[in-house]
Amino acid sequence: MIGIRRAYVWAARLAVAAIFLGACIAKIRDPESFALAVHRYRLLPGEWVNLLAMVLPWIELTCGLALLAAPARWRAAGAAIGFGMLAVFTGAISLNLVRGIEASCGCFSTRADAAVSDGWNLVRNGALLWLAAAVFVEAFRSAAARPPPRAPL
Amino acid sequence: MPAVERGEWLRLAGACAGLLGLASALGIAVNMLHPAPTRLPWVGDWDHHIETKAFRAGIPVTFLAGARERVTDLAVAIFDARLPEQYAAGHLPRALNLPVGEADERLGAFADRLTMETPIMVYCGGADCADALDLAVKLREYGFTDVTLYPGGYAEWIEYGGKSVAGGQP
Repeated sequence: MIGIRRAYVWAARLAVAAIFLGACIAKIRDPESFALAVHRYRLLPGEWVNLLAMVLPWIELTCGLALLAAPARWRAAGAAIGFGMLAVFTGAISLNLVRGIEASCGCFSTRADAAVSDGWNLVRNGALLWLAAAVFVEAFRSAAARPPPRAPL
Repeated sequence: MPAVERGEWLRLAGACAGLLGLASALGIAVNMLHPAPTRLPWVGDWDHHIETKAFRAGIPVTFLAGARERVTDLAVAIFDARLPEQYAAGHLPRALNLPVGEADERLGAFADRLTMETPIMVYCGGADCADALDLAVKLREYGFTDVTLYPGGYAEWIEYGGKSVAGGQP
Protein backbone atom coordinates (compact mmCIF):
# COMPACT_ATOMS: atom_id res chain seq x y z
CA MET A 1 0.00 0.00 0.00
CA ILE A 2 2.85 2.34 0.93
CA GLY A 3 4.55 1.42 -2.34
CA ILE A 4 1.46 2.37 -4.33
CA ARG A 5 1.17 5.63 -2.44
CA ARG A 6 4.84 6.40 -3.09
CA ALA A 7 4.46 5.61 -6.80
CA TYR A 8 1.38 7.81 -6.98
CA VAL A 9 3.17 10.75 -5.38
CA TRP A 10 6.15 10.28 -7.70
CA ALA A 11 3.87 10.19 -10.72
CA ALA A 12 2.12 13.33 -9.45
CA ARG A 13 5.48 15.07 -8.99
CA LEU A 14 6.57 14.17 -12.50
CA ALA A 15 3.26 15.18 -14.04
CA VAL A 16 3.00 18.58 -12.34
CA ALA A 17 6.69 19.34 -12.91
CA ALA A 18 6.43 18.36 -16.59
CA ILE A 19 3.39 20.59 -17.04
CA PHE A 20 5.12 23.62 -15.52
CA LEU A 21 8.40 23.02 -17.36
CA GLY A 22 6.55 22.51 -20.64
CA ALA A 23 4.37 25.56 -20.08
CA CYS A 24 7.21 28.00 -19.43
CA ILE A 25 9.12 27.37 -22.68
CA ALA A 26 6.92 29.27 -25.14
CA LYS A 27 6.43 32.11 -22.65
CA ILE A 28 10.17 32.56 -22.07
CA ARG A 29 10.83 32.40 -25.82
CA ASP A 30 8.26 35.04 -26.72
CA PRO A 31 7.51 37.33 -23.77
CA GLU A 32 5.76 39.90 -25.94
CA SER A 33 3.14 37.40 -27.14
CA PHE A 34 2.74 36.13 -23.60
CA ALA A 35 2.14 39.68 -22.38
CA LEU A 36 -0.65 39.97 -24.97
CA ALA A 37 -2.13 36.68 -23.70
CA VAL A 38 -2.05 38.05 -20.14
CA HIS A 39 -3.65 41.30 -21.30
CA ARG A 40 -6.46 39.36 -22.99
CA TYR A 41 -7.66 38.10 -19.62
CA ARG A 42 -8.45 41.73 -18.76
CA LEU A 43 -7.97 41.04 -15.09
CA LEU A 44 -4.87 43.09 -14.41
CA PRO A 45 -4.33 46.84 -14.70
CA GLY A 46 -2.22 47.58 -17.80
CA GLU A 47 0.76 48.60 -15.67
CA TRP A 48 1.11 45.09 -14.24
CA VAL A 49 0.79 43.08 -17.44
CA ASN A 50 4.41 43.28 -18.59
CA LEU A 51 5.86 42.63 -15.15
CA LEU A 52 3.75 39.51 -14.77
CA ALA A 53 4.73 38.38 -18.28
CA MET A 54 8.41 38.77 -17.35
CA VAL A 55 8.20 36.89 -14.07
CA LEU A 56 5.47 34.23 -14.35
CA PRO A 57 7.28 31.85 -16.77
CA TRP A 58 10.29 31.85 -14.46
CA ILE A 59 8.09 31.04 -11.47
CA GLU A 60 6.78 28.09 -13.47
CA LEU A 61 10.35 27.05 -14.27
CA THR A 62 11.59 27.24 -10.67
CA CYS A 63 8.47 25.45 -9.39
CA GLY A 64 8.93 22.70 -11.98
CA LEU A 65 12.58 22.23 -11.04
CA ALA A 66 11.81 22.31 -7.30
CA LEU A 67 9.13 19.65 -7.76
CA LEU A 68 11.51 17.44 -9.69
CA ALA A 69 14.74 17.68 -7.80
CA ALA A 70 14.62 19.79 -4.62
CA PRO A 71 14.69 18.64 -0.96
CA ALA A 72 11.32 18.19 0.76
CA ARG A 73 10.81 21.74 2.07
CA TRP A 74 11.59 23.38 -1.28
CA ARG A 75 9.50 20.77 -3.03
CA ALA A 76 6.60 21.65 -0.73
CA ALA A 77 7.14 25.32 -1.54
CA GLY A 78 7.14 24.54 -5.28
CA ALA A 79 3.93 22.53 -4.90
CA ALA A 80 2.26 25.27 -2.82
CA ILE A 81 3.14 27.98 -5.34
CA GLY A 82 2.15 25.70 -8.21
CA PHE A 83 -1.18 25.00 -6.54
CA GLY A 84 -1.76 28.72 -6.08
CA MET A 85 -0.90 29.46 -9.71
CA LEU A 86 -3.17 26.68 -10.97
CA ALA A 87 -6.02 27.98 -8.81
CA VAL A 88 -5.57 31.50 -10.22
CA PHE A 89 -5.30 30.21 -13.81
CA THR A 90 -8.45 28.14 -13.36
CA GLY A 91 -10.35 31.12 -12.00
CA ALA A 92 -9.14 33.35 -14.84
CA ILE A 93 -10.07 30.82 -17.55
CA SER A 94 -13.50 30.36 -15.94
CA LEU A 95 -14.04 34.11 -15.99
CA ASN A 96 -13.09 34.25 -19.68
CA LEU A 97 -15.54 31.46 -20.46
CA VAL A 98 -18.32 33.20 -18.51
CA ARG A 99 -17.60 36.51 -20.26
CA GLY A 100 -17.56 34.83 -23.67
CA ILE A 101 -13.98 35.88 -24.51
CA GLU A 102 -12.78 33.59 -27.30
CA ALA A 103 -9.12 33.70 -26.25
CA SER A 104 -6.55 30.95 -25.95
CA CYS A 105 -5.53 30.31 -22.34
CA GLY A 106 -1.89 31.12 -23.14
CA CYS A 107 -0.91 28.02 -21.20
CA PHE A 108 1.43 26.17 -23.55
CA SER A 109 1.46 28.30 -26.67
CA THR A 110 1.47 32.01 -27.26
CA ARG A 111 0.81 31.64 -31.01
CA ALA A 112 -2.25 33.26 -32.52
CA ASP A 113 -3.50 29.88 -33.75
CA ALA A 114 -3.46 28.27 -30.29
CA ALA A 115 -6.72 26.55 -29.43
CA VAL A 116 -9.39 28.64 -27.74
CA SER A 117 -10.00 27.87 -24.04
CA ASP A 118 -12.90 25.59 -23.22
CA GLY A 119 -14.19 23.38 -20.42
CA TRP A 120 -11.41 20.88 -21.08
CA ASN A 121 -8.89 23.41 -19.72
CA LEU A 122 -10.84 23.50 -16.46
CA VAL A 123 -10.96 19.70 -16.20
CA ARG A 124 -7.20 19.49 -16.83
CA ASN A 125 -6.49 22.18 -14.24
CA GLY A 126 -8.75 20.46 -11.73
CA ALA A 127 -6.73 17.26 -12.11
CA LEU A 128 -3.47 19.20 -11.78
CA LEU A 129 -4.71 20.92 -8.63
CA TRP A 130 -5.44 17.51 -7.14
CA LEU A 131 -1.95 16.23 -8.04
CA ALA A 132 -0.22 19.40 -6.78
CA ALA A 133 -2.07 19.06 -3.46
CA ALA A 134 -0.91 15.43 -3.15
CA VAL A 135 2.70 16.45 -3.80
CA PHE A 136 2.44 19.26 -1.27
CA VAL A 137 1.09 17.01 1.48
CA GLU A 138 3.81 14.41 0.93
CA ALA A 139 6.63 16.95 0.74
CA PHE A 140 5.41 18.98 3.71
CA ARG A 141 5.10 15.85 5.86
CA SER A 142 8.61 14.78 4.89
CA ALA A 143 9.98 18.22 5.70
CA ALA A 144 8.20 18.30 9.06
CA ALA A 145 9.45 14.81 9.95
CA ARG A 146 13.07 15.89 9.60
CA PRO A 147 14.55 17.87 12.47
CA PRO A 148 15.69 21.34 11.41
CA PRO A 149 19.47 21.69 11.13
CA ARG A 150 21.04 22.61 14.45
CA ALA A 151 22.93 25.81 14.82
CA PRO A 152 26.64 25.18 15.43
CA LEU A 153 27.65 25.45 19.08
CA MET B 1 -2.57 16.33 8.06
CA PRO B 2 -1.34 15.82 11.65
CA ALA B 3 -0.51 18.88 13.72
CA VAL B 4 2.67 20.49 12.54
CA GLU B 5 4.68 22.91 14.58
CA ARG B 6 4.32 26.58 13.70
CA GLY B 7 8.01 26.83 12.86
CA GLU B 8 7.56 24.38 9.98
CA TRP B 9 4.93 26.63 8.40
CA LEU B 10 7.26 29.58 8.79
CA ARG B 11 10.08 27.67 7.13
CA LEU B 12 7.69 26.76 4.31
CA ALA B 13 6.73 30.43 3.91
CA GLY B 14 10.42 31.31 3.78
CA ALA B 15 11.03 28.69 1.08
CA CYS B 16 8.06 30.03 -0.94
CA ALA B 17 9.41 33.57 -0.65
CA GLY B 18 12.84 32.32 -1.69
CA LEU B 19 11.51 30.55 -4.79
CA LEU B 20 9.37 33.54 -5.80
CA GLY B 21 12.25 35.94 -5.24
CA LEU B 22 14.67 33.81 -7.25
CA ALA B 23 12.18 33.42 -10.11
CA SER B 24 11.38 37.13 -10.18
CA ALA B 25 15.03 38.11 -10.19
CA LEU B 26 15.74 35.64 -13.02
CA GLY B 27 12.79 36.86 -15.09
CA ILE B 28 13.71 40.50 -14.73
CA ALA B 29 17.42 39.87 -15.34
CA VAL B 30 16.79 37.80 -18.48
CA ASN B 31 14.44 40.47 -19.82
CA MET B 32 17.13 43.12 -19.24
CA LEU B 33 19.60 40.97 -21.20
CA HIS B 34 17.29 40.81 -24.23
CA PRO B 35 18.28 43.08 -27.11
CA ALA B 36 16.27 46.30 -27.01
CA PRO B 37 13.80 45.45 -29.82
CA THR B 38 12.61 42.29 -28.08
CA ARG B 39 12.86 43.53 -24.49
CA LEU B 40 9.55 44.04 -22.69
CA PRO B 41 9.22 47.54 -21.26
CA TRP B 42 8.38 47.68 -17.56
CA VAL B 43 5.00 49.15 -18.38
CA GLY B 44 3.29 48.40 -21.69
CA ASP B 45 0.96 50.83 -23.40
CA TRP B 46 -1.98 48.46 -23.03
CA ASP B 47 -4.50 51.25 -22.50
CA HIS B 48 -4.09 52.22 -26.14
CA HIS B 49 -4.06 48.66 -27.45
CA ILE B 50 -6.76 48.05 -30.02
CA GLU B 51 -8.33 45.24 -27.96
CA THR B 52 -8.59 47.51 -24.90
CA LYS B 53 -10.34 50.15 -27.01
CA ALA B 54 -12.73 47.52 -28.37
CA PHE B 55 -13.46 46.26 -24.86
CA ARG B 56 -14.24 49.80 -23.71
CA ALA B 57 -16.44 50.37 -26.75
CA GLY B 58 -18.35 47.16 -25.97
CA ILE B 59 -17.26 45.47 -29.21
CA PRO B 60 -16.59 41.72 -28.81
CA VAL B 61 -13.25 40.52 -30.11
CA THR B 62 -12.38 37.25 -31.79
CA PHE B 63 -9.01 35.72 -32.58
CA LEU B 64 -7.62 33.50 -35.30
CA ALA B 65 -9.59 30.37 -34.42
CA GLY B 66 -12.82 32.37 -34.25
CA ALA B 67 -12.02 34.15 -37.51
CA ARG B 68 -11.47 30.81 -39.25
CA GLU B 69 -14.84 29.56 -38.03
CA ARG B 70 -16.60 32.70 -39.20
CA VAL B 71 -15.02 32.56 -42.65
CA THR B 72 -16.54 29.12 -43.17
CA ASP B 73 -19.89 30.06 -41.64
CA LEU B 74 -22.02 31.40 -44.48
CA ALA B 75 -24.38 33.08 -42.03
CA VAL B 76 -21.63 35.52 -41.02
CA ALA B 77 -20.96 38.64 -43.07
CA ILE B 78 -17.30 39.65 -43.20
CA PHE B 79 -16.24 43.23 -43.84
CA ASP B 80 -12.74 44.35 -44.79
CA ALA B 81 -12.31 47.94 -43.59
CA ARG B 82 -9.17 48.65 -45.64
CA LEU B 83 -8.90 50.75 -48.78
CA PRO B 84 -10.19 49.24 -52.06
CA GLU B 85 -6.69 48.81 -53.52
CA GLN B 86 -5.52 46.93 -50.41
CA TYR B 87 -8.65 44.79 -50.54
CA ALA B 88 -8.11 44.05 -54.23
CA ALA B 89 -4.53 42.94 -53.57
CA GLY B 90 -5.77 40.24 -51.19
CA HIS B 91 -8.49 39.69 -48.61
CA LEU B 92 -10.10 36.99 -46.48
CA PRO B 93 -12.41 34.60 -48.38
CA ARG B 94 -16.02 35.92 -48.62
CA ALA B 95 -14.98 39.35 -47.27
CA LEU B 96 -16.74 42.43 -48.64
CA ASN B 97 -14.91 45.72 -48.86
CA LEU B 98 -16.33 48.49 -46.67
CA PRO B 99 -13.72 51.19 -46.00
CA VAL B 100 -14.66 52.98 -42.82
CA GLY B 101 -14.56 56.40 -44.49
CA GLU B 102 -17.09 55.31 -47.11
CA ALA B 103 -19.36 53.22 -44.91
CA ASP B 104 -22.25 55.70 -45.08
CA GLU B 105 -22.38 55.61 -48.88
CA ARG B 106 -21.49 51.97 -49.49
CA LEU B 107 -23.40 50.08 -46.82
CA GLY B 108 -26.65 50.39 -48.80
CA ALA B 109 -25.15 48.15 -51.49
CA PHE B 110 -25.21 45.24 -49.03
CA ALA B 111 -28.76 45.86 -47.80
CA ASP B 112 -30.11 42.73 -49.53
CA ARG B 113 -27.54 40.52 -47.74
CA LEU B 114 -27.91 41.89 -44.22
CA THR B 115 -30.43 42.18 -41.45
CA MET B 116 -29.81 44.00 -38.20
CA GLU B 117 -29.23 40.59 -36.55
CA THR B 118 -26.76 39.25 -39.13
CA PRO B 119 -23.51 38.26 -37.38
CA ILE B 120 -20.76 40.49 -38.75
CA MET B 121 -16.97 40.22 -38.42
CA VAL B 122 -14.79 43.18 -39.34
CA TYR B 123 -11.05 43.36 -39.81
CA CYS B 124 -8.37 45.59 -41.30
CA GLY B 125 -4.62 45.33 -41.84
CA GLY B 126 -3.59 44.07 -38.43
CA ALA B 127 -3.17 44.92 -34.79
CA ASP B 128 -1.79 48.39 -35.59
CA CYS B 129 -4.80 49.64 -37.54
CA ALA B 130 -7.93 51.12 -36.01
CA ASP B 131 -10.15 51.19 -39.12
CA ALA B 132 -11.90 47.92 -38.30
CA LEU B 133 -12.73 49.05 -34.78
CA ASP B 134 -14.04 52.37 -36.11
CA LEU B 135 -16.16 50.47 -38.63
CA ALA B 136 -17.44 48.11 -35.92
CA VAL B 137 -18.50 51.06 -33.78
CA LYS B 138 -20.19 52.66 -36.77
CA LEU B 139 -22.07 49.45 -37.62
CA ARG B 140 -23.27 49.25 -34.01
CA GLU B 141 -24.48 52.83 -34.28
CA TYR B 142 -26.41 51.90 -37.44
CA GLY B 143 -28.19 49.28 -35.34
CA PHE B 144 -26.37 46.03 -36.18
CA THR B 145 -26.47 43.99 -33.00
CA ASP B 146 -23.87 41.26 -33.58
CA VAL B 147 -20.61 42.90 -34.64
CA THR B 148 -17.28 41.28 -33.78
CA LEU B 149 -13.79 42.63 -34.33
CA TYR B 150 -10.93 40.45 -35.55
CA PRO B 151 -7.95 42.55 -34.41
CA GLY B 152 -5.28 40.24 -35.87
CA GLY B 153 -6.58 41.26 -39.29
CA TYR B 154 -5.22 40.42 -42.71
CA ALA B 155 -1.57 40.38 -41.52
CA GLU B 156 -2.17 37.64 -38.95
CA TRP B 157 -4.46 35.72 -41.30
CA ILE B 158 -1.69 35.51 -43.89
CA GLU B 159 1.07 34.88 -41.33
CA TYR B 160 -0.73 31.73 -40.19
CA GLY B 161 -1.32 30.39 -43.68
CA GLY B 162 -4.87 31.64 -44.26
CA LYS B 163 -6.21 31.64 -47.80
CA SER B 164 -6.16 35.03 -49.50
CA VAL B 165 -8.47 36.02 -52.34
CA ALA B 166 -7.39 38.73 -54.77
CA GLY B 167 -9.67 40.92 -56.82
CA GLY B 168 -12.28 43.64 -56.45
CA GLN B 169 -15.69 43.58 -54.83
CA PRO B 170 -17.80 40.58 -55.94
